[in-house]
Amino acid sequence: MSKLWQVALQEYRRHVFTRRFIFGLLSVPLVIILLVGLIFLIIAMDINTTPIGYVDHSGLLSDPVPAPRPSAPDRPVAMIPFASETDAQSALDAGRIQAYYVLPADYRTSGLLRVVHINEIKAPASQQFYNFLGANLLKGTDSAIAARLVKGADVTVQSADGTRSLSSNGWFSFVFPMIAGIGFIIAMFTSGGYLMQAVVEEKENRTMEVILTSVSPNQFMAGKIVGDTCVGLTQILAWLLLIIIPILVERNAVPFLQAIQISTQTLVVLVCIMLPSFVLVAALMAAIGATVTEAREGQQMTGLISLPIWIPYMLIGLLMSSPNSSLSLALSMIPLTAPVTMLVRDGLTILPDWQIALGSAIQILCAVAAIWLAGRAFRLGMLRYGKRLSLHELFAHSM
Amino acid sequence: MPIVELTHVTKSFGPVKAVEDVSFSLEKGELFGLLGPNGAGKTTSLRVMLDIFKPDGGSVAVLGGVMTEAKKDRIGYMPEERGLYQDIPLERCLAYLGALKGMRPADVKRRAEAYLERFDLAAYKNKKVKELSKGMQQKAQVIATLLHQPELLIVDEPFSGLDPLNTQMVKDLLVEQHEQGVTIILCSHQMHQVEELCERIVLIDHGKVMLYGGLIEIRRQFSGNAVLVRSPVELPILPGVERVEPVNGTVKLHLAQGTDPQAILQALVARKLPVEQFEIAMPTLDEIFIRVVQSTPRVQGQERAA
Repeated sequence: MSKLWQVALQEYRRHVFTRRFIFGLLSVPLVIILLVGLIFLIIAMDINTTPIGYVDHSGLLSDPVPAPRPSAPDRPVAMIPFASETDAQSALDAGRIQAYYVLPADYRTSGLLRVVHINEIKAPASQQFYNFLGANLLKGTDSAIAARLVKGADVTVQSADGTRSLSSNGWFSFVFPMIAGIGFIIAMFTSGGYLMQAVVEEKENRTMEVILTSVSPNQFMAGKIVGDTCVGLTQILAWLLLIIIPILVERNAVPFLQAIQISTQTLVVLVCIMLPSFVLVAALMAAIGATVTEAREGQQMTGLISLPIWIPYMLIGLLMSSPNSSLSLALSMIPLTAPVTMLVRDGLTILPDWQIALGSAIQILCAVAAIWLAGRAFRLGMLRYGKRLSLHELFAHSM
Repeated sequence: MPIVELTHVTKSFGPVKAVEDVSFSLEKGELFGLLGPNGAGKTTSLRVMLDIFKPDGGSVAVLGGVMTEAKKDRIGYMPEERGLYQDIPLERCLAYLGALKGMRPADVKRRAEAYLERFDLAAYKNKKVKELSKGMQQKAQVIATLLHQPELLIVDEPFSGLDPLNTQMVKDLLVEQHEQGVTIILCSHQMHQVEELCERIVLIDHGKVMLYGGLIEIRRQFSGNAVLVRSPVELPILPGVERVEPVNGTVKLHLAQGTDPQAILQALVARKLPVEQFEIAMPTLDEIFIRVVQSTPRVQGQERAA
């Protein structure tokens, strides 16, 4: 095994098989589970299965078809007819119904109705009543057409060559890149942070001097970057498994999970843009570690890297409204803003191949340049105990 | 052919000249002392030798030519400030450092176990390095340096932090390596250790070579004109003796210029005085070191790297 791989393996083992790493690995899915649980709790609090009453003067619901079954986690609400508003009001006052709707005689033409309630009726319950009305308005229509009308429009944008498409109902194709971007950023900075700290520690405890009599600075730095990129990818892989396995298991039981599909374009962006970005960030963190004298100083300097990476999230409104604008394109090409911008745009539009190729080429070139810079910073700063390497020295010094 | 040769090496850090026109060489199998006060340029010389720093001028030849990555596997270096990974077990740390020297895992394990036994560290091999005492870490560093059986051993202050027992153990190990033909550069402030172990030395001060050569020749060079005499009786005033100085149960006779020590011995014998010891008074390396370093003018306001 070459020395580069020995360094990479050591770096990997040193960080992955630690309690700190395992805690970090589990904490993100735990937070996600807690958030999802919280969302379900909020939804559950909105669900009220107390029946809804109605007084129909229009005759629409004289022989009603039942309301379509709501999708999980919502539960069906019974629709109870009342002959008069007085009866309905009595039932409401007695708490037997949560609200009642009054359909006037001209409902079919006016579309206006009235709702009476004591406590405001929650959206899931009112939606069930509107679905009930919709089903009855479409009574007699061909069932397939009725089903499509109830479901609503599903606009699918397709590329000219027909290889890629984007559906408005495929909510996951929009949400996934956003979540993946955050996951990548967390993993980038976790593993990059390990790398920076390791370099600073090796300088502080003089290990570097021993290592450099065995391996060249470039081999050492490249090995560390490879090792720490693998640490980050392990983190991402573990998170993906922790997310994907429950999704696959529960896919048939929970209908909304069936919308989850990862497009080929997303996979291409992840491999061609995110992977070199990962190496770029790791190399820049290593360069910072090689120039500073203590870990705390290095952490302050990581802001220079993290700020551009988060910029696309700050401009999310502009990116969402115009995913193909000049600004969006520019941010897709700038090294540190590219990874998140590309992922966000991937969820919103069809990215032309040339943009992915150009963005990827820029990221790879910058990653290579960053590795060179890290190696240079390392060589210049490795034995400067207690003294920071200046930018001027980094770019001007010859050694 | 010298195994290490520095020729007119110069290295500066900004305005500070850490090493200036340093030249010395050593042959295969030598135990060579590299001496100098703090900040003299010793460590910079070693780092230049090891290709950690590139020299600004001059040339360095190690193991028969310029330093290469492959040659690094034939060199063992123990820096003055110890450098072991603190947060991993000792055995894993040694395995990694051995692997970086191109050793196979089985060889690392076998040799590490033998050295751990020898240095009474076998019971601590699964402990994290930071959990070991300073002396234990020092011994672990010695093991890491010797693990790959280097041809050239460079040890910077190998006795610091060791108790007398472990100092002797390391000293024995250096002698053993020397007997096996390993070339050793011993960098130390402990002059008596250097005096005991080394055959030749180089003394660097202010980045320049102040003394270089065989230890006996250097001591003779600094001996002056004096003899040490041990006698059970009080010595009379002898012709050619300028001053008498008692030294640890002996007397040091400082001779006038042109007086031959042999003439003093003959005078003692002619007077039938009992003589238990008679030798040319040679200074210790400590004395030579102090004399040389104190005679070098200090440059104010300059702090040397290294």
